[in-house]
Order: sequence, then C-alpha cells, then structure tokens
Amino acid sequence: MTIAPFRKSYAGATALDFPGAPLPAGQTCAVIGANGSGKSTLAKVTAGVTACGQPQVLSPPVSVGYLPQHSYPFQMTVRANLMLNAPRRNDPARQRADMLLERLEIAHLSEQKAHHLSGGETARMVLARLLMRRYDLLILDEPTAAMDIRSTALTEQLVADYQAETGCGVLWITHSLKQAVRIADTVLFLCRGRLAEAGPAERLLTAPQTSELRQFLDFYGV
Amino acid sequence: MTTALEQAIQLVLSGDDQLVNIISVTLQMSIPSSVISLLLGVPLGVLLAFCSFRGKEVLVILNRTLMGLPPVVCGLLCYMLFSGVGPFRHFRLMYTIPLMVIAQVILITPIVIGNMESFAQRITPAVRETAHGLGLGRGRIFLLLISETRYQVFSTYLLGFARSIAEVGAVSMVGGAIAYKTNVMTTAIMNYTNRGDFTLGVALGIILLAMSLVLNLTVSLIQGRLSR
Ligand SMILES: Nc1ncnc2c1ncn2[C@@H]1O[C@H](COP(=O)(O)OP(=O)(O)OP(=O)(O)O)[C@@H](O)[C@H]1O
Ligand SMILES: [Mg+2]
Repeated sequence: MTIAPFRKSYAGATALDFPGAPLPAGQTCAVIGANGSGKSTLAKVTAGVTACGQPQVLSPPVSVGYLPQHSYPFQMTVRANLMLNAPRRNDPARQRADMLLERLEIAHLSEQKAHHLSGGETARMVLARLLMRRYDLLILDEPTAAMDIRSTALTEQLVADYQAETGCGVLWITHSLKQAVRIADTVLFLCRGRLAEAGPAERLLTAPQTSELRQFLDFYGV
Repeated sequence: MTTALEQAIQLVLSGDDQLVNIISVTLQMSIPSSVISLLLGVPLGVLLAFCSFRGKEVLVILNRTLMGLPPVVCGLLCYMLFSGVGPFRHFRLMYTIPLMVIAQVILITPIVIGNMESFAQRITPAVRETAHGLGLGRGRIFLLLISETRYQVFSTYLLGFARSIAEVGAVSMVGGAIAYKTNVMTTAIMNYTNRGDFTLGVALGIILLAMSLVLNLTVSLIQGRLSR
C-alpha cells in the first residue's frame, strides 16, 4: 500500500503538504511530530474521512479501520458499542467482543454505559470496538495517549497480535518515542505541515539526518 | 380575586362537564399535533445536521424563520386554504379538531427541526468521524446519530407540547372556539375573560399549569431513568 502525495488546507492555510509514503502490509509505521504538525490530518486524509480534493490517497483502495484522536463513545453499553462494529451479530462476534474486552481488562465494564467510562477506559473501549472487524490497514491516532503504562502495554500487544493474525499495515501516531521504538518498523517525522524525515525506525531515532528531527529528539533526551 | 380562585378550585374538584370537555378537546388537539410534529421534525432535523449540500445554510435560516412564524399568520394561511373559498374546501375541515392539528403541526414542526438540528450538528462531526472510521455506511451512521440524540427528543417533545397547549392565535382562527367541539383551554380562557367571567378562566389556567407540571415531572423522571 502507498499514500499518494497530497496537500490539505483548512480555509486556505496548508495543514499538511505530504509527499507520499509507502505503507507495507504487515508493518507498522509510527508518525511522530509536535502538536499541530499535521499528524491527525495525515490520518484523516489517509482514512478518507476528510476530503483533500483527491478522491483516493490510498492505493490500492483497501479497507481501513481508523481510530480518531477523540473517538466517540456511543451512548449505549460497552458491549453494544463493540457489537455495533461486528460484521454479523452472531456467537463468534460475541465471543470476539468478550475476548477483546478481557485482553484490555475492561470485561467487568461490559454492561456499563460507555459514556460514563474514565478516559483510559474509554480509550480501551474504542480500540476494542475498532478491532471487532478485519481491516487491511489500521490507522491509530494516539490510541494510548490517555492510558496508563499497563493498558499501553496491553494495547501494543493486542495490536501486534491483530497484525500477526490479519497481516494488516498499521499507521500509528504517537507522542512517545519509547513507544515508537517498541512498535515501529518505519517512522514518519512531521514538522510544521511537512514530512521532514522518513525511514527505518532505528536509523531515524538514532541517527537523525535533519536538524528539525535532531532538535525534536534532543528535547526528548534521546 | 380570592373568590374567583376559590370558585375555580371548586370547579376543578367538582369535575364540571364543560370543563372536562374543554380539557378533552385540548388533549385531542395537543397530543396528535405534538406527536406528528415530533415524528416529522426529528428525522428532518437530524437529516439537516447530517447532510452537507449546497444551500443548506439557506434551509437552516428558512427553518429559523418558520420557527418564529406568528400563529395568526399560520391561522390565516390555513383559513385561506380550507375555508369556503380555499382550494382544500372539499375536505370540510374548517372548525374541526383535525384542522387545528394541521395548523399546529405547521407551527411546531419547525421548532422540533430547529431544536434537533442545533443539537445534532454539535455531535455530528465526532459521530461521523468515528463511525466512518469503523467503516460503517451512511445509513448506519444516520441511525446512530438519531440514537445519539434520543435524550434530546424528550425535551424537544416537551417544548412542542407546551407550545401546542399554550397556543391560541391559530386554533381560534381555524377552530372557531365552538363550545363542546373546538373550544380548547386557551380559547376558553380568552372567551370567558372577555365576558368578565373569570372563574372558569382561572380554573383552566390552574389546570393548564398543573398539566405542564405533571408532564415535565414525568418526562424528567423518564429521562433520568433512561440516562442512568
Ligand atoms: N478542522 C480544522 N480547521 C482548521 N484548522 C485545522 C483543522 N484541523 C486541523 N487544523 C490545523 O491544522 C494543523 C494540523 O493539525 P493536526 O490536527 O493534524 O495536528 P496534530 O499533529 O495531530 O497535533 P496534535 O499532536 O496536537 O494532535 C494545526 O495547525 C491545526 O490548527
Ligand atoms: Mg492530532
């Protein structure tokens, strides 16, 4: 899979001028960059939820599961939220929901109203809801930003297993460089609406080529 | 003043025949008109928030204008359409409850649409982005949006019903306030007051307030129960 070059503007101001990037199936691509650098814009345009003047940025047009930065918990139980995204309402789907809730340690909340969950519980619920279905590409916009260390570890493991099972590609936006090191095969570094640097994770995070990325990494003390 | 109040309370307690009839006619008008307005207005309001198309702003502004439609203008319109010279005279609806319901639906539906639209458009972007991200189709997303506005439907219904029982301009024009036929609480209060007969007017006023109180209590109870 590849993301084609595109430019996305809001009211005339360019939010992201993207030169395109490959997204190999079965691999995880981490997207890093400061606040407002255009990470969510990249996710939205790639997922096709925001138009950018081009009909398709992703080729070939595969099925995409996209987790927005602020995914919305529907006003129903946690289980109903998951079943909403089940391809069919049958026993295997119900078992899958149970499995996902257990793996993310929110099984005890399954009959709670989703809009009454805590921040980290909501983050786990919306991820479980997304993983109810098979997608060729997962786009996760800061899925663990609200989670504690344990839930973050559970999430990383669950996504890795989903990926091993489905062979899907993953585009994972994160503010945690440590997380990027753990999960990523490749890294895209966005800076002020541009792709400043891209490449294999180890090289990018240990031997940055651009001054922007060097500064960015310095600040994290890497 | 105090005697009027005393007499009014007595009248309410005695279950006066005329009083009971007025209340019954009021409910025969208000319940259908508020329910029909709700059934029309909720999907339309949510649809207006959900869809994006050219000229949508115009529709929203047009609806806001209709929300402020003066009841007498609505009454006049219905009168012209349904009276002896109007195109719909063959329906023979002049001075009947159905025509009062029609007039009220014209008045209340825009209020329901506006109320639902302004609520739904606040949550539409988040619902749409989330549901689209899951890969759900447009139809599913629309149904989800309706379901997400369900608590708003209660308060919107209250608003519509309150408008319906309190409205006097349109119903007096098309209903004619005929005793034992189309005389509702508001038109009765007006007539009795004009005649200087305050007792029945005050009694009706008390009932009108009590009904509004009971309805509000019921709905907020249901709403509290459901949203728990
Ligand atoms: N709907 C919008 N309307 C106008 N401007 C927008 C809109 N969405 C994003 N922007 C602007 O586009 C730029 C990039 O936003 P984006 O959400 O992609 O940043 P981000 O990298 O995800 O930041 P964060 O780390 O805070 O999530 C920002 O300057 C933002 O103000
Ligand atoms: Mg973002």
